[in-house]
Amino acid sequence: MRNRLHHKLLRRLQLRESWIIFFIMGIIMMNFPFLHIFNKANIVLGFPIFFLYLFVGWAVSIFVIYLFTLAIGHNEVRQRENRKH
Amino acid sequence: MTTGLAQAAIISFLYTLLIFLIAWYAHRRKLKGRSIIGNPYIYTLSIAVYCTSWTFYGSVGKAATTGIDFVMIYLGPSLTAFSWLFLLRRIILIAKENNITSIADFISLRYGKSLWLGALVTMIAIFGIMPYIALQIKAVSTSFHLIAGFKGDEINISHGIHDYKLPIGLLLTLILSIFSVIFGARNLVSSERHEGLVAAVAFESLVKLVSLLGVGTFITYYLFDGFRDIFVKFQHLYPVQFNHLFTFTANPGNGDVTPSFTMLFMSMGAIMLLPRQFHVMVIENSDERHVTTAMWLFPVYLFLINLFVIPIALGGVLTTGSTLGADFFVISIPILTGHNTIAMLAFLGGLSAAAGMVMIEAVAISTMLLNHIFMPVIVRFTPQSWFPLLLINLKRIGIFLVIFLGYFYYRMVGDTYMLVNMGLTSFSAACQFMPAMLGGLYWRRGNCTGAISGILFGFITWFYTLLLPSLIKSGWFSNHLLENGPFGIQMLKPTALFGLTGMDLWSHSLFWSMLFNISSYLICSLVLQQSEKEREQVRKFIGVFELEAHSYPPQEIKRLSKPVTIKQFTALLTKFIGETDARRAIANYLGEQKTNSDGNVSEFELPNLKRFTEKTLAGSVGAAAAGAIVDSYLSDMGSRMESVYDIFSTVRTSLDQSREALYVRLKASEIINRTLDLQIIIDDLLNLLLKEFKLDVALIQLCDENDSLFVMSYQGSNRRPINSQHWFQESKPYCDMVQFDRKVHFVNDARLAGETVELDRTIAEGIVSFAHIPILREGQPSLGIISVYSKTIAGLFTEEFISLLASLAGQLAQAVTIVREIEAKEKERLQKEQALLHNARVLRDMEIAQQIQMSLLPAAPPELFGLEMAGRCISAAHVGGDYYDFFLRDEQTLDLLIADVSGHSVGAALIMAEVRTLLRPQLTTAHSASAILQLLNGQLYDDLTRAELFITMFYGRYNPATGRFSYANAGHNLPLISRAGSPSCIQLDAEGLIIGVKPSVMFEERQIELIKGDVMLLYTDGLTEAAGPEGELFGPLRVCEHLQSVSHLPAKEIIDSLYAAVINYSGSSSFQDDISLVVLKIQ
Repeated sequence: MRNRLHHKLLRRLQLRESWIIFFIMGIIMMNFPFLHIFNKANIVLGFPIFFLYLFVGWAVSIFVIYLFTLAIGHNEVRQRENRKH
Repeated sequence: MTTGLAQAAIISFLYTLLIFLIAWYAHRRKLKGRSIIGNPYIYTLSIAVYCTSWTFYGSVGKAATTGIDFVMIYLGPSLTAFSWLFLLRRIILIAKENNITSIADFISLRYGKSLWLGALVTMIAIFGIMPYIALQIKAVSTSFHLIAGFKGDEINISHGIHDYKLPIGLLLTLILSIFSVIFGARNLVSSERHEGLVAAVAFESLVKLVSLLGVGTFITYYLFDGFRDIFVKFQHLYPVQFNHLFTFTANPGNGDVTPSFTMLFMSMGAIMLLPRQFHVMVIENSDERHVTTAMWLFPVYLFLINLFVIPIALGGVLTTGSTLGADFFVISIPILTGHNTIAMLAFLGGLSAAAGMVMIEAVAISTMLLNHIFMPVIVRFTPQSWFPLLLINLKRIGIFLVIFLGYFYYRMVGDTYMLVNMGLTSFSAACQFMPAMLGGLYWRRGNCTGAISGILFGFITWFYTLLLPSLIKSGWFSNHLLENGPFGIQMLKPTALFGLTGMDLWSHSLFWSMLFNISSYLICSLVLQQSEKEREQVRKFIGVFELEAHSYPPQEIKRLSKPVTIKQFTALLTKFIGETDARRAIANYLGEQKTNSDGNVSEFELPNLKRFTEKTLAGSVGAAAAGAIVDSYLSDMGSRMESVYDIFSTVRTSLDQSREALYVRLKASEIINRTLDLQIIIDDLLNLLLKEFKLDVALIQLCDENDSLFVMSYQGSNRRPINSQHWFQESKPYCDMVQFDRKVHFVNDARLAGETVELDRTIAEGIVSFAHIPILREGQPSLGIISVYSKTIAGLFTEEFISLLASLAGQLAQAVTIVREIEAKEKERLQKEQALLHNARVLRDMEIAQQIQMSLLPAAPPELFGLEMAGRCISAAHVGGDYYDFFLRDEQTLDLLIADVSGHSVGAALIMAEVRTLLRPQLTTAHSASAILQLLNGQLYDDLTRAELFITMFYGRYNPATGRFSYANAGHNLPLISRAGSPSCIQLDAEGLIIGVKPSVMFEERQIELIKGDVMLLYTDGLTEAAGPEGELFGPLRVCEHLQSVSHLPAKEIIDSLYAAVINYSGSSSFQDDISLVVLKIQ
């Protein structure tokens, strides 16, 4: 079950459209009005909320790209396997 | 204080030495073929050249003064990394395919190798990057002062009574220049990767990351108690500043996100478009698969290097109590707290960050400078042997120039600006390439004019709204312009163009420059057409990816108009990259190519060789310049050839165009296809040659059936009848040679040839050059000769012209062959028709003769009581020599005869007719059978001898009343009598010679009594001599047996059965000889 989900996720990530969606999402997140939401001088968990938003968001985006690169690798492995059959 | 200086100097020196060794090691490894940088981690670290001393020092400064939005400069590249899989990989593939050397090269190649565009991009890069390099120098020199414990620009060293001023900035500039030259301009092939340089940069990236993480950890966890501690303390002590730093509220726009978006946008562009980024990401890329790893690893790097920036900034404010000198908190805080080692670590990190950036930038821009500014000028000169030396030194000078420009800007602008602001100015300049770059990669219509105008307008706007204010602020220009606008026009104020206020400096500049840039790019591209060269590049840049067939290299099918040898290409390459490299490159290329017997590539391979030469040159001098070099070299070569054939320049030039040759060929085939009249074809063809090539006389000779030449057509000026006195006769030896060896013979200078060959009359006629071309098809004998003469141009017959003439001759040969074949067929058909007609006539004559001959034979036997008779003749041919007849002499006497004239010819038939004529009068005479034969022999002898014929004849006379049959025989087959009760047949033999042998012959007359039931058969030799399948004759015996077996039948049926028996015996439906049968049955 987990394997299948994993496989499915990676397959979706191979689509060029997925890349573009995440790219545009990233740009939107870095703009009004999202930035406005976090435009507050509060401290959450000991961190300024804006600092937290940007750095956590950044880390998440890096993880997404990492998933994408996994998907490419996955694709290449699968192509190799297909060629073998 | 001095100890601090010495320490700093020594460590800096050792560190520089270490970098140098690493670069050297990487270079050595590469030479040995075991590269250490060919992995995605080094690739990622080299991309991290993005993080310069601006990141190292400036981020902290910005974080401490304007707040957290500095992060945008690193979030932008992280976002862009999403697109790398498509965008960056595509750029890398194109760059590798075309040996791209720089971003200027890339953009100019996309827009049709435009020299202007390349130069423009280079100029912008130089100006745009100037503040950036200044920033590095400023950062390093300031940090050096800090670490050495000095304040101010110069370091004064007291030495006795003298004071030495140590200009750190200048020193750094020099060191960096030298380092860049050593590792970045080792040789001219700039598409080659600089592994030493990349290794050094990667190492420096590692150092700056470790350094910043170290300082960050030190401040956050040693001086303070983690992130939260810093944040909470800071909020407590500076609540206003906390608000200011972590929100946008402090900005004039009240919650304005414009500056942050501007930074995001500019950094997204800069990560790809800054010359150094393009250089490390594209040019220095060793394997495009590394991009996949770099996509996530590079954002991780950015994330890590920025993680401690805010804690350092806040910690700095907390420690020092102000934001003064925030740019150098990284160094100043450890110094303040007495941790010099940490400070030194920070210094090295900053030095690494600056050095890596400056070196890569200098190498990238000097390459552009060489290829797009210097090369287009150099190309105009004839290549010389010292060119490689000149070029490499120009590149080295370029490196110095770029770094020193940065230094001068630093001296000019100095401390007026914060580090970040100087960096952003450069980012904004790099963004001017974005429309042309992205449009070039994804938009087919984007054209050169659009790119040039877009970049130019963008650059001008950038210069006016950003660079100029920075210079004004540092006091180099009057402040008047900034406050009141040029000429007092407020609308044109550089910082509030067209009255746009309320925006920060960069957003304002970016908005206007991008607006002008993108709109002029789009408008020009939509309004104007692309050139053919551009369309070709569009196919390479966009087409190949749309088809996803980039694995097939584009084949150049356009043929080169000039024959160029490999040697010449090698010579050209040698002039730019040196002889060894040139030879190796060509040898490598030829390794995969077929060469013909002369060691040359075939005509159709030449364009590819040309392309290869261009590509190889492009590796050194950029695509635009390479194209121009090869083209100018080729045309130069052409002109040298033209100087050999100087007088012929006009015609030759027109000939050079294969288009021209094509036109003549086309015309020729039109002429040939128009008619089947060879005379018209040949006349028209000669006139075409005379007209198109300005020849004076042209002749065509063709071979007749006996293979001797005759003049088919003679065209041109001043014609005289061709006789033995005509000058044309002197060409005969040439014609004979042409016919003999089937090759073109030409004389390009008749006077010269006249010294050895008799050409006096030809020269007297004014002929200066001529050629004789065999009219033949491949592998066929020559059908004739085209001879062309020129009275004006010596050296007319160049290789191309001759090959064109030969190909026309080939076309003509085809036509001649076809026409001749058609003529021959027509002739044959006529002959056949004639023969058929003749045969038909003869046949008809023969049929008439046959009818006449048949009518000469008795239609029916006479009726005589007690006697039944029948007779029949079947000829093998239409007419024959057989004859039989019955005559009723009176009511009691019947004469009958059978005769055979030798042969079946018409002559035999005529003789037979004569016999009949001669016999008729004898009916009234009372001569006996022998007397009649004797008479006939006498009469016919002369005729028969003359015709070389003879006759056998049996003559008999029967009296039914007496039953007596008297007969005589002139050599004829003996008649047979089948008598009932007799086992064999009676043969009626009588002595007698064949008629026509002797003039006078005596014939024996015999008698026999015929009784009732006797069946007498008279026959000609065709019956007994009919051959069976085995060649055995039918023979009298078989005739006799058959006769006996059928004697009871009526006479007519006996004859029929005999014929049937012969057909049955011989096995064929026709007779070999005439067969005549007469049956006499006594009742």
